[in-house]
Amino acid sequence: MIYLLDLFLIALGAALINNFVFYYFVGICPFIGVSRHLDMAVGMGCAVTFVMVIAAFISWTITTFVLMPGAPVSAWVAGFFLAPETAATIDLSILCYIAYIFAISSSVQFVEMYVRKFFPKLYESFGVFLPLITTNCAILFACLTIMAKVTAADTPADAWGLDKALTLAFFGGLGFTIAIVIMAGIREELELADVPRPFKGAAITLIIAGILAMAFMGFTGVDAGLRNALAM
Amino acid sequence: MAEQPTTTERFIQGILPENPVYRQLLGLCPTLAVTANLQSALTMAGAVCFVMFCANVVISLIRNLLKPHLRIVVFTLTIATFVTIADRFLAAYLYGMSKMLGPYIPLIIVNCIIICRCEVCASKQSPITAAGDALGQSIGFGIALFSIAFVRELLGTGTLFGFQVMPETWPGWGIMVLPPGAFLTFGILLAGVNRITMYQDARKKHRGL
Amino acid sequence: MHSNFIDQVKKSNLGQAWLVLLLTIFFGGSLAGVQIKLGPVIEQNKINETLEKVPELIMGKALAEKMAAQQQLTDIRPMRVAVDYEGRQIVYSAYETRYQGKMLGWVVKTAGRGYADTIELLLGLDPTISRITGLYILDQKETPGLGNKILEEKWRNQFIGKSVNNPVLVVKTGAKGEGEINAISGATISSSSVTQIINTATSQLRPVLAADTGPAQIKNDREKTSGPEINSDKE
Repeated sequence: MIYLLDLFLIALGAALINNFVFYYFVGICPFIGVSRHLDMAVGMGCAVTFVMVIAAFISWTITTFVLMPGAPVSAWVAGFFLAPETAATIDLSILCYIAYIFAISSSVQFVEMYVRKFFPKLYESFGVFLPLITTNCAILFACLTIMAKVTAADTPADAWGLDKALTLAFFGGLGFTIAIVIMAGIREELELADVPRPFKGAAITLIIAGILAMAFMGFTGVDAGLRNALAM
Repeated sequence: MAEQPTTTERFIQGILPENPVYRQLLGLCPTLAVTANLQSALTMAGAVCFVMFCANVVISLIRNLLKPHLRIVVFTLTIATFVTIADRFLAAYLYGMSKMLGPYIPLIIVNCIIICRCEVCASKQSPITAAGDALGQSIGFGIALFSIAFVRELLGTGTLFGFQVMPETWPGWGIMVLPPGAFLTFGILLAGVNRITMYQDARKKHRGL
Repeated sequence: MHSNFIDQVKKSNLGQAWLVLLLTIFFGGSLAGVQIKLGPVIEQNKINETLEKVPELIMGKALAEKMAAQQQLTDIRPMRVAVDYEGRQIVYSAYETRYQGKMLGWVVKTAGRGYADTIELLLGLDPTISRITGLYILDQKETPGLGNKILEEKWRNQFIGKSVNNPVLVVKTGAKGEGEINAISGATISSSSVTQIINTATSQLRPVLAADTGPAQIKNDREKTSGPEINSDKE
């Protein structure tokens, strides 16, 4: 029960309370660039969610088994060269950022090839966004959050498992989709509005985003209340 | 092939005419995320400057060896390495700041400004031009971050660099240091810059006639 | 023939990727250098962050500064304390503070959900875990201007001397009872989050720490702050 509640609160936090776009400001570039039409926004959102889950899976795996201090695989490999005590404390976490960015780029490439081959229909709808995603900070941010939860935990029992990592990634992507779709809906209507000339384009988008961020602030504290209500 | 701009031109272009934030709308994540106060904004600008300078120079030095299809891989590798170095330096010598900026330092890797400069300038021109370009762009980025952080810190907490400048009775607009304040401040400043550009363009046209 | 061979090398994968490989080795080397040079400094920073605050949280600011000025150093022993709570094992980082062998108190690092995000705090407690001797907020992201007033010394100082034998309570105004704290106006949830974190920590730790008579129950973990040998208290 507590387990499910934990997962639910992570999901709620990633999608709404600490929304990637409105709370952490990641993925702003596509949020402003690709939010002109609703169908494009949906495509972008799906592509980001998809890649984020895959990247989260890869980065969780390599962090847990290779990169974090005393990770099993690197300790085993180092055991061939070093004394056992030194090998057990080997710390490759300085390579985290490089590993993540390559994990992201390769998963983008892989997803692109796979989708193009097996789901040509799907590829038509969001394939064009895939290369753009490599430089989308939301994905790297998800990887970094997972890294912090895995490595900075005080005890092994507190470190995030794959279940929590994937929940965060999926619902983080969903939160991004929600944000960009809301924005695209507003911007489609905005075409008809009389916006002062200096505000046209990015400026008015940012101001709308500010108002949306205020609306999303309304979710703050929901999880604390829910936890109290459900756990008591 | 069109003539490439000189070092001085590159340097000046980066500061205002091609300001990475206000004109090219690149690297918006740090622009919004770390501008709640001036110290973190300037630390961020410094880190970006260091990474951009090093990456630009290194890429420019090896520009003749680059294979077109492996170009992006080399860019990413270089940038990620220098970001890691910058991150460790901050953690070692400015620990509090490093904790405050948190994930936004590693996110410099995917900051489009740097990869864009490597592509546009460093992979085509000499190291000196690339260095000038990097400095110009990072000064432009720094100015943008400074302007946003100035407004947000002043209105949000009534301080600048942590020193009280507004009268003690200033209530502090909490919203300015919260996420919505970042969007609103940047949106309004951007509109202001657009207005100035429009005015200049109109004057140029007027003179041309 | 010879030029043919060179062409072949150029076309092979290695010929294409040699630059990437060379750069990888070069960058890998420089990162290793950075890690060797700065790694210890960073580790020290992380430890200092909490260690510096410990004397102040146990003895109060004035006394701690006076003692530091006179070079009277307290003996701080970092350790990890495992508690079994409702079938789950919870581990706390605790700092046992002694002065010339005499037990002064504990500083415990604990965290919990606040209004906006996690609040991480250091809690100073007397040796029997019955009174709070100090409170310091390490990390918070509460609403600026309202919730983040939990950082203010004036508010935190309310906790000093409060009994934790019964849970600390938050009241809107006019706290006078033994375990009562004034809420920050406009930030009741942030205030009660802090007291809730404190209450949870003290109730879980009391059976373990208060009964502590020496190293028999809690293993010293000075060399390794994160290790597999965590002593669990199964009472």
